[in-house]
Amino acid sequence: MRSPIRIVFEQRNETPKYLSTLVPLISVIAALVAGALFLLATGYSPIDTYTNMLSDGFASSRGITDTLGLSTVLICTGISAAFAFQMNLYNIGGEGQLYLGMIGGAWAGLALGDRLPSFVMIPTVLLLGALAGALWILIPAYVRSRLGTSEIVTTLLLTYVAASLVDHFVYTPGSFFVTKNSAFPQGRLVPDSASLTAFGNTSLYPTFFLVVLVTLTLFWLVKRTEYGYRIQVIADSPRAAHYAGINANRTTLSVMLISGALSGLGGAVLIVGPFGRLDPGITMLGYGYAGIVIAALARNNFSAVIVSGILFAGLRSGGDKLQISTDTPIHIGVMLQGAILLFALGGEAFRRYRIHAVRTERTAQ
Amino acid sequence: MAERVGFEPTVRFKTDNALAGRPIRPLWHLSWEDFECTSGLRATTLSPCADVVNPLRTPCFSMIWVRMEQSKVSSSAPSEVPQTRENLHMKKFWKLAAVAATASLLVAACGGSDSSSDTTSAPAEATDVKVAVVYLGTAEDKGWTYQHEQGILQLEKDLGVEVKRIENIADNADSEKTFEQLASEGYDVIFATSFGYGSPMANVAVKYPDVCFQWATGAKFLLTKAGGGAFADFPDLPANLGTYFGAAEEARYLSGMAAGKATKNNKLGYVAAFPIPEVIRGINAFTLGAQSVNPDATVQVTWTKTWFDPTIEKEASESLLDAGVDVLAQHQDTTAAGVAAEAKGAKWVGYNSDVKEAAPAAWLTAPTWNWGPYYSKTSKAVADGTCPTDEYYGSMADGMVTLASFGESVDADTQASITAKGEEIIAGTFAPFTGPISDQDGKEVLAAGEKADLGSLLSMSYFVKGVIGSAKG
Repeated sequence: MRSPIRIVFEQRNETPKYLSTLVPLISVIAALVAGALFLLATGYSPIDTYTNMLSDGFASSRGITDTLGLSTVLICTGISAAFAFQMNLYNIGGEGQLYLGMIGGAWAGLALGDRLPSFVMIPTVLLLGALAGALWILIPAYVRSRLGTSEIVTTLLLTYVAASLVDHFVYTPGSFFVTKNSAFPQGRLVPDSASLTAFGNTSLYPTFFLVVLVTLTLFWLVKRTEYGYRIQVIADSPRAAHYAGINANRTTLSVMLISGALSGLGGAVLIVGPFGRLDPGITMLGYGYAGIVIAALARNNFSAVIVSGILFAGLRSGGDKLQISTDTPIHIGVMLQGAILLFALGGEAFRRYRIHAVRTERTAQ
Repeated sequence: MAERVGFEPTVRFKTDNALAGRPIRPLWHLSWEDFECTSGLRATTLSPCADVVNPLRTPCFSMIWVRMEQSKVSSSAPSEVPQTRENLHMKKFWKLAAVAATASLLVAACGGSDSSSDTTSAPAEATDVKVAVVYLGTAEDKGWTYQHEQGILQLEKDLGVEVKRIENIADNADSEKTFEQLASEGYDVIFATSFGYGSPMANVAVKYPDVCFQWATGAKFLLTKAGGGAFADFPDLPANLGTYFGAAEEARYLSGMAAGKATKNNKLGYVAAFPIPEVIRGINAFTLGAQSVNPDATVQVTWTKTWFDPTIEKEASESLLDAGVDVLAQHQDTTAAGVAAEAKGAKWVGYNSDVKEAAPAAWLTAPTWNWGPYYSKTSKAVADGTCPTDEYYGSMADGMVTLASFGESVDADTQASITAKGEEIIAGTFAPFTGPISDQDGKEVLAAGEKADLGSLLSMSYFVKGVIGSAKG
């Protein structure tokens, strides 16, 4: 009798350390290989394309500042998703919280006007943006912690509401966010004191360092504090946490609120940085959704969010520039990002399961 | 309008927000350029494609890269006259025009090799003017971007240059790095075809005073502090930034006449994008045109809050048709409204381009754009050393705005009266916004005989009497 080979997935009790690094790395490489096949099939040279993408994204001084500038917001949405992942919570609505962060930040900047100095204005704008993001996740967080309603659905659906809200504020004549007596759908610029564009002719703003600091603080929070320990226990075994007297409801609520605030911070970063105004064009960029991919790549490791955020920003900004430096369509860059997500999620299987190929004896028929 | 290239079916994948609504062209679908480039015809001496060796790598594969290979064409037209810049330019222009004209069938659609080698290997005399255009979507939308692409194709044909297309660039602050890179790579003139490109482009224009920036649908007012922008006042604006747009309301009025005649129950519908002056102006002009031939006509407006989303446009169209309207007009980038109208046996007034074949039975006509002359003229001026920085507002008189061909159901009398009205508009004896005009509430906004000035047109935020819906969205 022939003995067919069967693939068996055996759950691991513990993931070896080397796999946590190796799997995302191989995922990225596999995605690039898949992308190369696609490039070959459509008649572009993968080597030229990747070389150009790398040099546009990372090699020139403008490439680096553009990449780090873009990574600022991507790291925000990345840690937002990653922080919720810590407790097996899936905040898919980082995109919507990012819009709210923009609305909150722009509101703060416009409402305070030019009266206060920068060192007060900029923290205020960032704080209000974060608050607005937290506010946007309040309802999903509450119903998740009290009733167990799936946060995946609620946070995602609220994103569409948030997008409509942005449109509403910009396209309504006489709205607070647009110029009085102008029927054009263009948000007002926040005052100079609430803008970091004065920091020189670059797309890299000091907010990048702030965001890195926030990321490291969260890393410390999760790894070194009692609060972080509670999160770990709940994530590993909600029942054990319950017996240990950990209030899972309260922790769920707080983790989700922090997650929302981080995406909101990303929106506010755009207000003090390159956008400077509430701009409906934000809904075309998908920074919030990109955060989910970044978090998936960096699974369970905050410092890795910084790395994967920068990598992703480079891919994206290099991909955007590919059109100019070569004739590669922009879809290539977008496709590569999708491929990376696909392979990163697929790679999870290797981290969680031991995979064997076994020969099975077929029983007589 | 006459020269339409074939790329009919567009497959659209709706996946995530970042990709939503973006058309993806199927690989198996070839356009006529593809046949042109792989046929034996290209081996003729006139053809710039003669030495394209690898057909897979020729950008003919996609219509986006339809182009003339500038270096090859110019070397086939060697110059003997002393080469002052202007002389050289004019001479080359006419030679190229002649070459292009005689060989247009052969060469117009041929692609080059990849551009990185173009820019390095092209002889210096061929780089007269480096033109780039930035698109919000892709030319496959059969609407706004498609029509700009037609203009760019004409520019390429007129000046014998190769234009760099940058597609799918979101029109917000993020686009600044696209403009910055284009400027730093030495493009002489950059056309940006969407409203939201204004501020990012102006920021880059300050840094690159030698590059000419052109902002479609823009208004310089929006860059000043008073308009919510970053520059103190008009004199502080970069001196190398121009805007261009046109009086689509003229053709809208004419298309309204066709709709007013076609309706059986006097109920017209209008699928509109966003409640901004440009769109409101169009709705009003359409309504006034319809009422000029049918005083009882009303126009019901539905806002989609999107320029480009076939699904939403289709749903909005169907809800209007269900509400009983029998003629649909649109201010959208796709043909979804036409398809919906065709299915219900209603009539349709399109927009942007002459796409009768999308819904032949429903088709009445459409206001369309003709950007080519402006693109050619501006690029030529830049090559000659001047950057047009006016706020250019084209019209039917200069041909930037046109009316598409009529559908079969538009009878000869109607066609004649529309044509006659169009001639009055071109002659300047008639303007669509001429009083008496009153708003939705019956309040008079323009007294009898009074003509609306450009400023009030560009900031129009009220609906005229007969429009059903809110001008606030």
